[in-house]
Amino acid sequence: MRSISLYVDKDSLIHKIDPITKLIYTFVSVISPFIIPTILVSSIFVAVNMIILTLGKVFKKVIPIISFVFFIIITIFIIQGMFYGGNSTELFSVFSLTFYVEGLFYALRIALRAINILLTFSIIILTVKPSILIESLVRRGLPPKLGYVMHSVLQIIPMMSSTANTIMDAQKSRGMETEGNLWIRMKAFIPLIGPLVMNSLVSTHERSIALEVRSFSAKTQKTFLNEEKIPAAMKYLRLVIILIFIAIVVWRVVL
Amino acid sequence: MSKVIIKNLSYQYPLGDENALEDISLKINKGDFLGIVGPNKAGKSTLCKSLVGLVPHFYNGDFSGEILIDDLNTKNHSISQISLKVGLVFQNPFNQISGAKLTVYDEVAFGLENIGLPREKMIERIDYYLKLMDIYDQRASNPFEISGGQMQRLAIASIMAREPDVFVLDEPTSQLDPQGSKEVFNAIHKLSQKDLTVIIVSQKMERLAKYTDNILLLNQGRVIDYDKKEKIFARDDLEELGVRPPIYTEIARKMNLKNDKSYYPINRKKLTDLVVKKYGQNFSK
Repeated sequence: MRSISLYVDKDSLIHKIDPITKLIYTFVSVISPFIIPTILVSSIFVAVNMIILTLGKVFKKVIPIISFVFFIIITIFIIQGMFYGGNSTELFSVFSLTFYVEGLFYALRIALRAINILLTFSIIILTVKPSILIESLVRRGLPPKLGYVMHSVLQIIPMMSSTANTIMDAQKSRGMETEGNLWIRMKAFIPLIGPLVMNSLVSTHERSIALEVRSFSAKTQKTFLNEEKIPAAMKYLRLVIILIFIAIVVWRVVL
Repeated sequence: MSKVIIKNLSYQYPLGDENALEDISLKINKGDFLGIVGPNKAGKSTLCKSLVGLVPHFYNGDFSGEILIDDLNTKNHSISQISLKVGLVFQNPFNQISGAKLTVYDEVAFGLENIGLPREKMIERIDYYLKLMDIYDQRASNPFEISGGQMQRLAIASIMAREPDVFVLDEPTSQLDPQGSKEVFNAIHKLSQKDLTVIIVSQKMERLAKYTDNILLLNQGRVIDYDKKEKIFARDDLEELGVRPPIYTEIARKMNLKNDKSYYPINRKKLTDLVVKKYGQNFSK
């Protein structure tokens, strides 16, 4: 039973950057192309994200995600290329369908933003251990109960799936058909869901007691087993990211 | 090390037809190693839950009487406050795993982080208790991926590491093999030597006979007897009350072998001594 996190454990420079710096970068990278809505800015962030993912040795993991949204991006190009409100300069025609320069540029801008968002979130998802990210947030004031909920989701869902398999095996061993056509599968689902839900409710109840007897609700100031060491370089990196963001905002206001 | 005083404790679960605990009064001295025995529905688990304040704070229902852990009245304090003095290990170790930590090592740390223990002390305690419970080798494993027996050891280590004054264990060795069970009892006994009051529910009578000082015999929520283990296991009505005596006591009863105080022996050595005394040295050979 594994945690459902997509984190890829690699020894890379990017993995060594602390989660909070990555969160700040995520914010800046996602927001900036909206503040300055030019193709140039979006392209720069896409390129930077690709370099970060390559340095983090996780670029291969992003390819399937981009392929998944590729169909949607193609659709945006077709629709906007033909029907964008500001279309005026014809670029080419296929059969009787005419594509316009303005529409295609608009589609390119949307596509770059979408890809940028995907790549940015991929950095944090693939190179930050969720447990460390949550712990960093709890250290900075995220309520521990919320942190627990985020944390437990990663563990509890695989646990429920394991329990579901056990129940399914138990039902199979008593002669229930679980494989076959859709109707058979649907019938098999009903005897599974009852025990699964009941089991989960009972476990949740007992687990909440277990948390209580280990002082989860205690008002004392919590401490942490893992030390949070933020090297000076990370502080400079954060400063650089924030300065870039300020520059982008100023650019937008001034120009 | 704390003294536990229970005065006229009665409790009925919200949907219960009758009292799970009925007018229980007893005193457990500091440093005692108490065993609780009784058949199903005797109130053993409910009594354990009462000691840490889960009854009445977590479970509602009709609660009367009081439990004092030294001067701390469980009725007037939160579970978090009580749990600093009283540690409870449940029957089912699976549900004792917090679900918030990804390794065995971090799982033990969970209860220590919550009470604000400094990091250095935390590491010291985690190392000590994982080694004591013989699961240090599993420290990097996911708590949900270890065996039932290891999970039980982890659950015990997680509570032990908080170093409570009173340590309550509800069937802590139910998923362990005889060797594992022996090791866990040994570890608990080792801890009980240094200022710890231990209250343990177990069906493993031979272990209780070996390690405990006193036995509390419960039936249908009532205290039937509370005395020295030799006296409890010497009762003729023990099986009628749903409790199997230690095997050595059963053998002694069948052979009608009693010691000077008219008690049946409760362990192998005492039984052997009596047999030798009655039948001579050749019998033991």
